[in-house]
Order: sequence, then C-alpha cells, then structure tokens
Amino acid sequence: MTEKQILPSGHPRIDSLEMRGIVKRFPGVLANDHVNFDVRAGEVHALLGENGAGKSTLMKQLYGLYHPDEGQIIFDGEPRVIHSPKDAIQLGIGMIHQHFMLVDSLTVAENVALGLPSTRGMMTDIDRVTKRICELAEVYGLDVEPDAYIWQLSVGQQQKVEIIKALYRGAALLILDEPTAVLTPQEVDDFFVTLTQMAKDGHALIFISHKLHEVMAFTHRVTVLRDGRNVGTVNTVDTNKTLLAEMMVGRPLNLNRPRKPVDFGHPRLIIENISAFSDRGVPALKNVSLQVYAGEVLGLAGVSGNGQPELAQVITGLRPSTSGKIMIDDEEITGSTPMQIINKGVAYIPEKRNVDGLIKEFSVSENLIMRDLDREFYSKNSFLHMEEIAKRSAELVQTFNVKTPSIDTPIKSLSGGNAQKVILAREISRKPRVLISAQPTRGVDIGATEYIHDRIIEQREEGTATLLISEDLDEIFALSDRIAVIFHGEIMGVVDRKDATLQSIGLMMAGEQPPETQKAE
Amino acid sequence: MKRFGKLVIFLVMVAMLSTACATATPAAPAESTGPFRVAVVTPSAINDLAFSQSMYDALAKIQGEMGKDKFEFVLSDGMFVVDDAAAAIRDYASQGYNLVIAHGSQYGAALQEIAPDFPNVSFAWGTAGDTFGIPNVFAYEAFSQEGGYVNGVLAAALNKSGTIGVVGPVEVGDAKLYVDGFVAGVKATNPDITVNVNYIGSFGDVALASEAAQTHIGAGADVMTGSAQMVVGAVGVAKEKGVLWFGTQADQTSLAPEIVVACQIYDWAVVVRDMISLVQSGTMGGKAYAVSLENEGLKMVYNAGFALPADVKALGDAAVKGIIDGTVTIGVGGK
Amino acid sequence: MLADLFTGSVLIGLLASGIRLATPYLYAAIGETFGQRSGVLNLGVDGIMLMGAFSAFYVVFKTGDLVGGVLLAMLVGLLMGLAMAFISVTLNAEQGISGIGVYLFGLGMSDLLFQKLINNVQTVSGFPVAPIPFLSDIPIVGQIFFTHNVLVYGAYLLVPIAWFVLNKTTLGLKIKAVGENPEAADTLGVSVAKIRYLTVTIGGLLSGVAGASLSIALLNVFQFNLTNGLGFIAIALVYFGGWRPTWVLMGSLIFSFVNALQIWVQVVGIPIPSDIAVMTPYILTIVVLVISAQRVRPPSALTKAYERLE
Repeated sequence: MTEKQILPSGHPRIDSLEMRGIVKRFPGVLANDHVNFDVRAGEVHALLGENGAGKSTLMKQLYGLYHPDEGQIIFDGEPRVIHSPKDAIQLGIGMIHQHFMLVDSLTVAENVALGLPSTRGMMTDIDRVTKRICELAEVYGLDVEPDAYIWQLSVGQQQKVEIIKALYRGAALLILDEPTAVLTPQEVDDFFVTLTQMAKDGHALIFISHKLHEVMAFTHRVTVLRDGRNVGTVNTVDTNKTLLAEMMVGRPLNLNRPRKPVDFGHPRLIIENISAFSDRGVPALKNVSLQVYAGEVLGLAGVSGNGQPELAQVITGLRPSTSGKIMIDDEEITGSTPMQIINKGVAYIPEKRNVDGLIKEFSVSENLIMRDLDREFYSKNSFLHMEEIAKRSAELVQTFNVKTPSIDTPIKSLSGGNAQKVILAREISRKPRVLISAQPTRGVDIGATEYIHDRIIEQREEGTATLLISEDLDEIFALSDRIAVIFHGEIMGVVDRKDATLQSIGLMMAGEQPPETQKAE
Repeated sequence: MKRFGKLVIFLVMVAMLSTACATATPAAPAESTGPFRVAVVTPSAINDLAFSQSMYDALAKIQGEMGKDKFEFVLSDGMFVVDDAAAAIRDYASQGYNLVIAHGSQYGAALQEIAPDFPNVSFAWGTAGDTFGIPNVFAYEAFSQEGGYVNGVLAAALNKSGTIGVVGPVEVGDAKLYVDGFVAGVKATNPDITVNVNYIGSFGDVALASEAAQTHIGAGADVMTGSAQMVVGAVGVAKEKGVLWFGTQADQTSLAPEIVVACQIYDWAVVVRDMISLVQSGTMGGKAYAVSLENEGLKMVYNAGFALPADVKALGDAAVKGIIDGTVTIGVGGK
Repeated sequence: MLADLFTGSVLIGLLASGIRLATPYLYAAIGETFGQRSGVLNLGVDGIMLMGAFSAFYVVFKTGDLVGGVLLAMLVGLLMGLAMAFISVTLNAEQGISGIGVYLFGLGMSDLLFQKLINNVQTVSGFPVAPIPFLSDIPIVGQIFFTHNVLVYGAYLLVPIAWFVLNKTTLGLKIKAVGENPEAADTLGVSVAKIRYLTVTIGGLLSGVAGASLSIALLNVFQFNLTNGLGFIAIALVYFGGWRPTWVLMGSLIFSFVNALQIWVQVVGIPIPSDIAVMTPYILTIVVLVISAQRVRPPSALTKAYERLE
C-alpha cells in the first residue's frame, strides 16, 4: 500500500470511505434500508433528506454511536467495524453535532483536551494543547481564543471550536450535522469559506442538511435519502433546487407560491416607542415603533441577538416594557398579563419551541389544550373533560397534519417539524387577531416548512395581522408584505417587499440607515 | 425510571425496618383479659443515658415487679421527627394498647389531636404540666430543679477555679428547670462563683455540645454539668481534660467513672404505677403528675468510684432533706 | 463583658475550636463536591457518615485500633457510595429519592448495629492531639492550627488535593465535563458511568471518614443519630460554596467559627437570647456565601440521569 497523503493538520488523509448496504432497525422502524453512500478526499458531499429520513442514523453508525444490523463500512478499501466514537476518532472521523458537544463552563483548550491522554500523565497539559490549537487555527484560518470560556463565545465561534476539536483528534473526514441551522447569514458565509478550503486541502466532508440553496452553493455531490432509502446520488452541477426538493419529498413542491393580493385593513397591532431591558439588564429595545395591518405579514429581519426575542416577549406580556405602549385594535394591552393578552386574540409561536412553546414530557394532546385549559369545553370546575379533549386533539392532529403515533405520545418523541405543527395547531386554531411568529421554521424540514408557510399565508388571507420574526432572509422575502429591520434594539427602517433587495436589507441588518426611513403605507 | 421506583421503595422500607427492629420489642396479640399493655414513643434512643433511657428503665422496672405475663411494653425510639411520632402514637392507639406514652414535650400538639379519637385508650405526655382538659390524657413532669439544686451545692463545694460551666440543649422545659436549679444551688453555696451557661440549640448535636464543653474549660471551668442526650459529647471532653461532671436524667457514671461525681436520676416508675392502677380502676386520665425528691421519683445517685469528701456529701444530703421538708427554697419553677 | 470576648486566650480558643469543628463538614462536603461536580447529588451523606461513625467506633471500642477504625469507616463508606452509584447511575433512579433511601438506611442500620453490638453509650480513647513538631511551637499560630489530631489535619489537606484534582488533572476535566454536558463527554469517549461511579464512591469514602472523625477523633462516643443532620449541612455548604473546594472550605470555616463564637458569646454571658445565638452560624454562612458566590451556577447536569439517546 502506498504511503497516505498528509493533511495540513499533520494527520493522514482518508482517500475514500464507503458505506455499503447499511440496514439499521429500531423497534417498529426501519431507519436505514440498504443504504449506500460514499465520500472521497477533497469533496463536500451533501446528505439531504427530510427529518426522519435516516440521515442522522446513518451518520451515527459511521461515528460508532449505533451499530449497523447489516452492511459494511469500508475505509480506503478495507472493511472496518466501528464499535464506539473512540474507534471512529482513531480512524480519522470527526463529527460536528447539530447541538454542539461543548462544556460551557470549561475553556476552549479544556474542551479540546477532554478525554485525550495527557503528556503529563494524570495532570493536564493545557499549555501544550493551547499551542497546538493556535497552530491548527493558523493553518485552517479559524480564529479561536484557547483561553476563552465556551459561554463567552458566539454560536459561530463555538462551531469553530468544534471543528478544531475534531481536527486536533486527527479528523480527516468530518461529518457536519445541519451545521448552519444555528448560524447567522454572515456566520454561514464564513463557515463555507472554511469548508471549501478544508476540502481543497484534502479533507472529506459530509454535509447533512435540508437547506437546498446551501447544498447547491457549496457541495460537490448530493445523496438524497427518503424514508430510510437512497433516492439517488447526483453531482451538484447536474441538478437544481426543484429537482432536489422533489427527490427529498417525493412529490413536486411549490417553492415560490403566488399570493392573493389582500387589501390591508386598519392597523391591528400598534407598537409605539417601546423600550425594554434584556435578562442581563442592558437595554434590548430602544423606542421601537411598528404597525401591523389586518391581513398583512410584517417581516422583522435582523441578525440574532438584536432584540427580537425581547420584542416578542414584550408584545405577549412576558417581559415588562420601560416605556411606550402597545395597542390591539385600539385597545391598549401594555402591562396586561399574558393571559389577558391571549384573550385579546394574540397567538404566539415562540422562538425556543422546546422551552417556551411546549412541555416536552407532556403528550401531544396535553400540549394542544394547554393554552385553553380554562375554556368551558376543556374543563368545568377545574375538572378536565377527557373525552372532549381527546376528540379536539384528534381533530387538530389531523387538520394540521401532525405525524404522531397517537395523541398521547410525548412531544419529545416528535420531530422538530411535527412539534412545531403542534404549536401552530394550538395557536392558529384559536383564530387569532394577531400572530407573533418567531423563527417558525428554524430546524424544521422542507416539507413542514412549506406547510407552515402555507398556514401563515392562509391566516393573512383571513385578516390576521402577522409579525414574522426571522433570521432566515429567504423566509422573510417569501412571506412578508413589508420588511422591518432591527439592529441593536432599534428599527433601522421599514420597506415594502417589492422595493426590497437582499442587499438593501443586508446593509440595514449590519446597522446602516436606509436613505429614507419609515416608509409606511 | 419508573421500573426502579420499586427498588427505591424497597430500600426505604429496609431502612425503616431496621430503625423499627432496633428497639420495638414485639407485642403479643391483644387480649381483653391479657396483660396491661403500654406503648412509648421517645424522641431519642432508649440508651441515650438521658431522657429517653429514664422512661425505658422505669418500664423495665415495672415489668420486673409485675411479671411479663401481667405487663408488656413496646417502644419506638429515635422519633425526633414529630410527624413520625404522631403516626406511631396513632398506630399504637388503634392497636388497642391500654396506655400510650408520648415521651416528649414536643408531641403535645399531636396528642391533642389524636387522644379524642381514641376515648378507650389512655394517653400520657411529658414532660408537661397540662392535660389539655382531655379526659383520657395524663401529664407528667419532673421537678428537675431539685436535683439541679443539689448538684449545684455539690459542684460549688468541689469547685476550685471559681468558674463552673453548664451545657444546655434548648432553653425550655425540663432542661431549663434543671439548669436554673443548678445555678441557684451554686449561688446559695458560694455566690462568688461564676456560672457560665450556654444553650446549644439542639437536643441531638453531640459535636456542638463537645465544642461547648471545650469552650467552658477554656473559660476556666473545672466543674461542669449539662442536660439532655447530646451531653455525651460534653462528658467525653470532661473526661479527657479531667474536669468534674454532674449528670441528670440518668446515671451517666458508666460514661466516665473517673470524673462523674453525682447524677440526678428520674424514676418515672412512681408515676407510671399510679397511672396503671387508675386505668385499671376505670379512670382514663385527667391527672397531672410530677416526680420529685419527696415522692422518690427523683433520686440522687453518687458514683461509688469517686472519692467524694464526707463533708461535701453531707452538704448534698442536707440539701435533699431541706428540699423535701421545705426549709430550702430554690426559687425556680414554683419551688 | 464584650471585652472578655477579645482576650488573647479566648480568641485562640475560639479559632482553634472553629478549626476543629469544621473537620467533619470538610470531609463530607469535599466528598460531595466530587459527586455533584459529576452530576450526582447524594443526599445520603448523613447516613453514610453514621455508618462510618459506628464502624470506626466499633473497631476502636473492641480493639483500640484507631487506624483500623478509620480504614473500616472508609470501606463501609465506599460500599455505601457504590450502592448509591449503582442506584443512581446504573439504575438511573431519581437521585433525591435514592439519596434519602441511603440516608434512612444508614440512620436505621447504624442504630440497629449499635443496639445489637454495644447497646449503651460508651466512650473510647480516640485520636490524641498530635502537635506538629516545630510548627506547633510558633506562638498563637501553633496553638490555633497545629495542635490538633491527625484527622483534623487530614481534612484540611484534602482541600488543596481536591482543588488540584478538579483543576489540574485530566480526571478533574472529565468530572467537570460529565457534570456539565454528559453527552459531550460521551462523544469524546469519556465514560459517564465510570466517572460518576468513581466520584460517588470517593464521596462515600470521605463521608465514612467524616463519620469516623466524629466518633473516634472529636467526640469519642457513639449514640443514635450522632451526626444530627450534619451531613445535610455539608450538602448545603457544597451548594453555597459554589461547588469549589476553596469556597467549601471558606463556608465550613465561617460556619464553624461563628458557631464557636456564639458558644463563647453565651459562655461569657453577653445577654443575647440563646435562640438567636444558635441561629447566627446558619444565617451568616448563607449570607456570606450567597453574596460572594452568587455568580456560580450549579453543574448543568446535576441530578440528571444520563442515558444515550436511541
């Protein structure tokens, strides 16, 4: 065998990796059904599929977290059995998980050193690790501060730590599980520059995603999985978004749906000069004023951390404002309790659905009725109407197309898209006057995204005033009638969708005032 | 997780079983014509050489007198959690014991709730002077200031440094009476002696009692006393430093034969005997008792191994006599 | 009267007393710190201490062998720690409940054994005061710090050792990682179960020594519930000390010094109601530690069982 080529990190590269006929069964589910997959040094290979298509299961077998029931994994022509993550790391495989595997209270260097033997026996050798991190950061153009604590870092920086961690362990092949789901647009650009360079240097990269434009822009080949089976592997240059979407979902998708023009009514939600503090006690909102009309979707664009969650919380009564007022249909709701605001017809799809929107341990049905517990048809004199609840829940599950084994299944067993549909069902079924929708499709697969977007459009046609808070500009552009941009807690401007360009919105997101501000109807 | 709930419950039960086994002498099945059956709930261990042991010793003595076929008793000790004690009291009452003794003033409120539910069972609680006016409740207390006074007289006579230390538990009830009586005894004998008193805030904190004793010795005490079950910590320190010790509630000589001079012991048998005869003749309660030097419910016990000068012992005997015939006024607790 | 409190000999006595009183808290709290840093809350400390206290006392009572007593206390503590680890790590039981189970077991079993094997309160000759040569001759300082028994020195030696292990060793890194983000540790090949077994067992062993320090070094007696809830205070000290050995030391010392002080205040006759005096150690310790350690949050995975998601 010839001597292997060496990567810039000083470790040998993996020329080819092949997974052949992989079968993985879980009780009641065939998660991978004879899947074939291969990746070569120097390429970014996208693994595309809806949630639950079997992408993660396949990759966890490559990383030794699961073991295939059938099939082979072949490294540079040699079959290997991977018993544990330790084996995988030894073979040169690194995995960047969707939820970062970092310990917040430790420093970057400590996170990198964790679990590795030290040159100083029982004592840690952080100095040496620090030096090596600096070398790697230099070679790969990843600026990380080895002494910083993880909690001090932005999400984008944390991802760089994850990459360094894998490189430090000699990763020649990197599995990236939906790596851009948590990044801001700028961070995504940065990240792809790094990836492209790594591929050029001879790394093999597997990119798990369901974001079609990213797959089209940065990968060399695409393998699509659906329901645990290969749909096919294609060269990226030979395909396009529409084709990939069809392969993924198994039916033609309508990505750019036409919208009925709706006549805007009166201003339904009026926000006047609202200011508020963040959890850390610093000003998060500074004199924010916005108006959302009946039958309108107002998109609020902005980079994460510029006051978006605080604004949603002030409107829904979860955070006090220090000045200004909020009106719904000419009734002031400033200072009302969340319950009073709900009763005014405000629906809320929170950003952190697993924390603020749902109780993960509770069943689908319990989560569906939570907000309306005190309503007559769910309970009387504090006793629950179990039959009525079951009936209503079953209806909602069907209407909103929630894929769940039963209405008694705990939310934590549902995919992100289906969990989001539960929230959507709960909120929209009340026929709200105002809908506050924060990052409604973050971490949600394309089929569910299409569904959720359809529902938001439908509400618009019903006359609901919708405030769509999103960091995904595609989403903002697809749904909004007008677009507002928030930066450092201030509204930089409001523009009509038809006058807006990616560039103009992008500049405002970076804090530049547009030439003419507050262009209202 | 659920499947292991059982295991945890099992463990807890094993734990509780071992607590229960520790002392509960199994009771014979109830028979209407059978022996007189007594159940006792105590806050500390029956071998605490103090409060709980005094009751155990009394019942053992009565059993010796009446015979095992005529008198049976069970004991739940270590019931420092009042809720647990209340549950035990209720259990014993419903099992048809003739007399249920709640041996701790902290059990009063619980007993007040339970007793009316079991009119055919007699209850007793101490130390307390009040039967709440409930017809099936007896109350008993100790004039512990009497022995405290005698100990104080003896302590003052043996004291050389001019300082005496007292380690108290909580500044209430029996312990406070004893401590106040002790101080009165010292002052009556030699008003120039400084008596340092501290209460550690607990009946069970042996470590703090030990530290308090160290402190007293540091402050110059060459004679010490203390009340309640946590004083074993103080006795240990006294022994190590060769400081004299006066005990109360039970005979503590065995702990430190070198330095224990005398102890006031409680003999509740006097009280319990009377309760038994009243219950057997149909009176279920309503009487409040007190043990005293006069009715021999309180006794002074001298450590035979300690060479107490005859003149000092004479002082003690005189104090006992004076308290009984009323020529000595303690000035504590109505005496 | 206040002047009585600040004479030289009183102050020395007070400080020496505080140093001594902190001993059992330190053993128990440092042991518990290891467990909690790895994500396991062991509420059974007090029960393990009682078993350790009894085992040590029994050996010394029967044979007079002090070292043997400590060793048996360690072994018993280790076994109870293993049991706690088995219940909370292998069986994934709810930690709070299993800890209370261990506590009740220790409380009951130590009393049962005491009744069966000894049956009344006895004293033994425990570890004698062992002044450290030269150091104990230093005026004042020598009396305060270097005139104690071996187990007292051991407790203070434990603090820098624990600090070193947690902050300077690969094991410490693993412990902290397992307590903060067990999933991350697992993906890096660190066995969550192994680390937790280790820390809970060490915690048990040290709780055993904490018990022995009471029964054969400080008090030299055994009776029912000798610890009187001291193990629970140790757990509180771990919380208020922000899971750091140095702050746990600080908390133990504040608690013990104030306790020693309130005894003195009463002894010299400063007229403060005893009820208030005995409360001060608790209040002051909490106030001081809450103010100084408020920025620390508990290990994220504390009390959470870890199972690899399937």
